[in-house]
Amino acid sequence: MNVDLLTQSPVFVLAIPLLFAFLTPLANKVSKELRNAVFLIGLLLTTLFVSLMAYEVYTMGSWIYVFGAEQPTTGLTTQSFFRITFLADGFSVLAALTIIITALGAGIYSFGHMKESNGLGKFYTLFLLTLAGVNGMVLTSDLFNLFVWFEVTSIASCGLIAYHNDRGESVEAALKYMIISVIAGLLLLFSIGFFYGEYGVLNYFLIRDSMTGSLIDILAIGMVMVILAMKASSVPMHMWAPDAYSEAPEPITPFIAITSLGSLFVLFRLLFFVFRGAVETSAIGSILIILGVLSMFIGVSMALKQSDLKRLIAYLSVSQVGYMMMAVGVGFATLGTGDYGIFGARAMEGGLFHMINDGVYKALLFLSAGGIVYVADTRDLNKLGGLAHHMPYTTFFFIIGGLSIAGIPPLSGFSSKLLIYKSVYLYNPVLAIIALVVSIVTLALIGKIFFNAFLGPDQGVGKKIPRSMILAMSILTIVVVLFSLFPNYVVAEIVVPAIEALGVGA
Amino acid sequence: MNWFTVFPLIMVVTLIIMGLYVVLFKKNLIKIIMGIALMQNGANLFLVSLAYREGYVAPIWTSAPSADMVLPTPHALTLTSIVIGVATTALMLSFVMMIKKHYGTINSDEVRRCRE
Amino acid sequence: MNFKMSVVVRTVADIMIIPIIVFGIYLILHGHLTPGGGFQGGAVIASATALLIVAWGTLKDNKDDFSTMESTGLTMFFLLALLGIIMGFSLFYNSLAGTGGIFGGTVSGINPGYINTGGTVPLMNIVVGLEVVAALSLILYMMAKRSDALEVEE
Repeated sequence: MNVDLLTQSPVFVLAIPLLFAFLTPLANKVSKELRNAVFLIGLLLTTLFVSLMAYEVYTMGSWIYVFGAEQPTTGLTTQSFFRITFLADGFSVLAALTIIITALGAGIYSFGHMKESNGLGKFYTLFLLTLAGVNGMVLTSDLFNLFVWFEVTSIASCGLIAYHNDRGESVEAALKYMIISVIAGLLLLFSIGFFYGEYGVLNYFLIRDSMTGSLIDILAIGMVMVILAMKASSVPMHMWAPDAYSEAPEPITPFIAITSLGSLFVLFRLLFFVFRGAVETSAIGSILIILGVLSMFIGVSMALKQSDLKRLIAYLSVSQVGYMMMAVGVGFATLGTGDYGIFGARAMEGGLFHMINDGVYKALLFLSAGGIVYVADTRDLNKLGGLAHHMPYTTFFFIIGGLSIAGIPPLSGFSSKLLIYKSVYLYNPVLAIIALVVSIVTLALIGKIFFNAFLGPDQGVGKKIPRSMILAMSILTIVVVLFSLFPNYVVAEIVVPAIEALGVGA
Repeated sequence: MNWFTVFPLIMVVTLIIMGLYVVLFKKNLIKIIMGIALMQNGANLFLVSLAYREGYVAPIWTSAPSADMVLPTPHALTLTSIVIGVATTALMLSFVMMIKKHYGTINSDEVRRCRE
Repeated sequence: MNFKMSVVVRTVADIMIIPIIVFGIYLILHGHLTPGGGFQGGAVIASATALLIVAWGTLKDNKDDFSTMESTGLTMFFLLALLGIIMGFSLFYNSLAGTGGIFGGTVSGINPGYINTGGTVPLMNIVVGLEVVAALSLILYMMAKRSDALEVEE
């Protein structure tokens, strides 16, 4: 009986949500309070283990967790060739932190928001399963394990999107997402088959060491990139995103966004960590930049014509994904050249900092929009109005989230976007100008929502916002404010270790 | 290159093309899901055919310990992907059942209430 | 509306589920020795449910039992995996292999089919089998019920 929780922590990040996902339906048979308590304990324990993992990684360095080995830290030996391994390093911690902050917000929010729904036992089960799936995706260092968690995430999040199955639109959006996810999963399986057929291994490290860059490799890498960019809702594979975001229950919307971010984390991990040696970095980097610019521009232009609140924010979220892809693409394109030291590393910092920022403020924005929908019972911007009279807190949270997504100083979105503008300008000034214009349009759209929904004459509302929703939004607001106050600290302590973990430290 | 290694790959390509054709060109949602199931079978067959070595026996330690065995890992992967395939197919079919209830049709042209 | 089939089909279905279930249990218990295991055996047993639903048109409402069984199976699976950590090793470590007791037997060299081996693996097969039986039966049951409801509406 000698359990070292610190070295075991990465596996608990996955195991705790899974275990509590299975316990929730059992607790549901006893009483509602017990079910809620089990769910909350599961979330808090996961948070605890993410913090433990972060502590251990930042103090002791990264390690490989081998499943089923006598000691979890034995590393890769001939015996653990085919064992599932988890990789606990700076990048995993960055991803896990992004995920858990959002999940905590969404989880606490759902207590108040979903109070009157039935079948909540299954809702919380699916919620925790999605959390486990995304955590598994970002922590694993084994291609097939990645496929398994990819599918777990797809299935559980589709179940959540279709949660209000008394509405046809929800089921339609879920089916659309599901068909796309399943076909993506099949392509992923094929590319795994290619890698296995060629090298006979599935572990990231072993594939990285044996990769030669043959035609089959290029084909498989292309498929993996398409799949993960699609899950990350990058244009031109973004069709599912607005439907899924707007039809999912309000607490779940930021969670679907976090599965997108999780796929983006996996894409960057694979590109930098595994495929880097075997591909033409400037070509792949250019593809990422093009996808990013397209996402930024098309996302924000589609948002212009929306009158549905949640659809509008969904398109804004598509355009934010573009920033990260563009910045990291610049980093990838300059790898190995002298430019990387000059501005490539800054672009990476900007891109990864924007990811954790975006996960948090987007969740805040989606949750406060959910508060609007909860109170006013409509998502149509033309019918909303005067809500600031009734919900001063939510108005404040919306302003914080909205200004952050638009990149207004001094909020956190500004810090990461400034890093992106500065570094991308040196790569190609046009990119920085496009990014700036997109940012301005985003601000205009946030202004539009703000004026339509919160200002204007009091129209009277029926419901009050429950306290747990306020609490959830305040947690996220505190995180956004902390990121805004100490951007240097966040970049130095969280983002730079992540970049070093990818093996491309400046 | 002999017949036993090439034939499964031909079948894989055939299954995938059939599945893709059904997914892209059929309007009936049930048929689309059948197409996806065809593609899943193609992927599973691909993994199993990767494991095949001519003259080797099935990887069961109990029955034939002395002979050379085919690779067991892809078999494990295939089983996992079959399990996942069952779950996804069941979920998609239940979505289609709900769509039939709400929309009264399973023609993908008419199931378009989500706006652009 | 009820889709009950003729008495011949119903009687044969009632009899046939016995060998089906026995075969499923065989597959689950020998999962660590021969092809098979929790999922395969569970799917075989769940086909008995499918047979009953086809023959009788419907089943009596035991949705709650199935979902309890499902969650119990999954929870026990995870507790078995956590046993490795509790004993001081890593997750999924086979801490019961070769320790005596149930499924703790040892064989030297080639295993000729001695079932009392495998440590946690056969136990995991059993709980996965429980989970799969429950989950697949639940899916079949829900689908049968839902399509019944659709027929009534029209």
